[in-house]
Amino acid sequence: MDPLLKVQNVSKRFGGVEALKDVTLDVRRGSVTGLIGPNGSGKSTLFNIISGFYKPDSGSVYFEGNRIDGLNPNEIYNMGISRTFQNPRLFNSLTTLENMMLSPKSQKGESILKAPFKKAWLDEEVQIASEVKRVLKEFSMDDIYKTPVSDLSGGHIKMVETSKGILGRAKLILLDEPTAGVHYAVGRRLFQYINYLRKTYNLTFFIIEHRIDLLFDFVDYVYVLHMGRVLSKGTPEEVASDPEVIKAYIGGA
Amino acid sequence: MFDIINFLISWLPIFGIYAILALCLNMEVGYAGMANFGLVAFYGIGAFVAGYVSMTVFLSFYGYNYPIYSPEAIIAVGNVSGKTPWLNLAVFLLSLILAFIIAGASGYLVSYPTLRVGPAFLGITILSFGEMLRVFMKHFTPTGGAYGILGIPHPFAWIPDPLLKNVSFLILTLAILAGTFIYFESLANSPYGRLLKSIREDEVASLCMGKPVPHVKAELLFVASGISGIAGALYAFYLGTVTPDMFITAVTFEVWSMVILGGKGNNWGALFGASIFSLLTRATSILNFQFPDLPIDPNYARWMITGALIVIILIYRPKGILSEKTVKTEAWRIFGEYAETKKKMTAAALKVLGYLKKVLYWLIGKEAG
Repeated sequence: MDPLLKVQNVSKRFGGVEALKDVTLDVRRGSVTGLIGPNGSGKSTLFNIISGFYKPDSGSVYFEGNRIDGLNPNEIYNMGISRTFQNPRLFNSLTTLENMMLSPKSQKGESILKAPFKKAWLDEEVQIASEVKRVLKEFSMDDIYKTPVSDLSGGHIKMVETSKGILGRAKLILLDEPTAGVHYAVGRRLFQYINYLRKTYNLTFFIIEHRIDLLFDFVDYVYVLHMGRVLSKGTPEEVASDPEVIKAYIGGA
Repeated sequence: MFDIINFLISWLPIFGIYAILALCLNMEVGYAGMANFGLVAFYGIGAFVAGYVSMTVFLSFYGYNYPIYSPEAIIAVGNVSGKTPWLNLAVFLLSLILAFIIAGASGYLVSYPTLRVGPAFLGITILSFGEMLRVFMKHFTPTGGAYGILGIPHPFAWIPDPLLKNVSFLILTLAILAGTFIYFESLANSPYGRLLKSIREDEVASLCMGKPVPHVKAELLFVASGISGIAGALYAFYLGTVTPDMFITAVTFEVWSMVILGGKGNNWGALFGASIFSLLTRATSILNFQFPDLPIDPNYARWMITGALIVIILIYRPKGILSEKTVKTEAWRIFGEYAETKKKMTAAALKVLGYLKKVLYWLIGKEAG
């Protein structure tokens, strides 16, 4: 089957540092794919290239067969790739409801010309709000809708961030360390939630994670980056028994 | 005795003009987080466009061939300005429209190179643009250089009674203020207001949610700068004079003080801040007039009071006197919020009506008795 996301021979250099060297990888439709590697191995750079923050020096990125490298981040989101950041980036002083209401793409009421005419966007607004309510209820978070995001717990913030992808009708969700800074049990629940989302909404996940023990229980396929190269790939079992990976992780750089 | 009518006539137009400016700045700073330190530039552009257009149209309509800044032109326009009411009003309307377009377009052009970077760059670019423009205008002869444009025909110059003339202008200014307020308030309580707030909170995250951030900022700058230009045009017609030195950077910061005092991200707050500061200006100039022998000139004391007010506000109410409210759209009704507030408001309104009814009956009863 054709992969949903295809990264081909991507290289990226920052001054004298080669962050990515000739990286090629595929993310299959409907899979949960993991991306692991020591700090500084280029994982976040790769995410930034996929989501449009950096342009690769060479190589290309394809999403559903369309070339997306070089597009702006907002265009890439509109094609169906949603991402989260290592440190959650929500709109802190806005309430949970407002944060989630912002996810759906190209809303009519977001145009300066149509906004003063309530009739033009009222139906859409009500429909989005109902969907937000349903999603919040689905994950028993419906009591936090009017809490400002800055007052939410770490676990809730991660959940809200992940759920935003559903409202934006994303096909691929890139998660940058979803369980950083949350308790092991909460992290486990988050992964169960990811698994549930994949099945119910037919989503694909591409996840950077440092907690390998957690990640390996849930992913189908894993890529290991080391010094900007793909060091190893395969199912969790294959990767875990690869002597190169063990060397990179335990033996140091 | 204190003359309330004349006080209102001298205060309200200035309040209206500053309130329009404060509303524009509030949209940019309070909602979208764009640090516009050069608001005065667009205000000044609007004023000069109004002055230039009205003088030129009047001179060419009556077939005079003087440069607009010459004493002959000022006298000639002064002589004919009351003769053709329709021309006064048409020129006024045309000036407002052109002020909007030219001020808006320059806001868009100036900020275009900096829209992709953070707010500080935008602020500094517009700030220096405003200063440079002022110095440039001081040496630009076609608009009179440092003397500026004098004798701009008042839109109601054809009304002989000065009180009626001033009241008409006052009503017009307040009507434009009301229109601006309603427009901005409807923008603020719509998905667009939410979008602006998301840009203020985190531009990158907003971009990552498919929002065309630079485009949105450019559009808002166009509209807000354009409306600031309208305020400038009103000011030009109010005073009848525009000079480059009326548009110093201090004006921008006066409007900033209004927005900070009233509450960023709250349009009512902008109105409130504008009324406090314009009252303060009026009060100090009246004091100056009535007590000329005070140890401190009240006109300068105004700046000290402004500074003290800002410090006090930032310590005790860092969000301003009226703090920011959430974006009110129908979305809240889905969660059962809106209905509740609506019920409460209806109950409160009924209560007030009840009191009014009692007062009314009491009045009628007394009259009848």
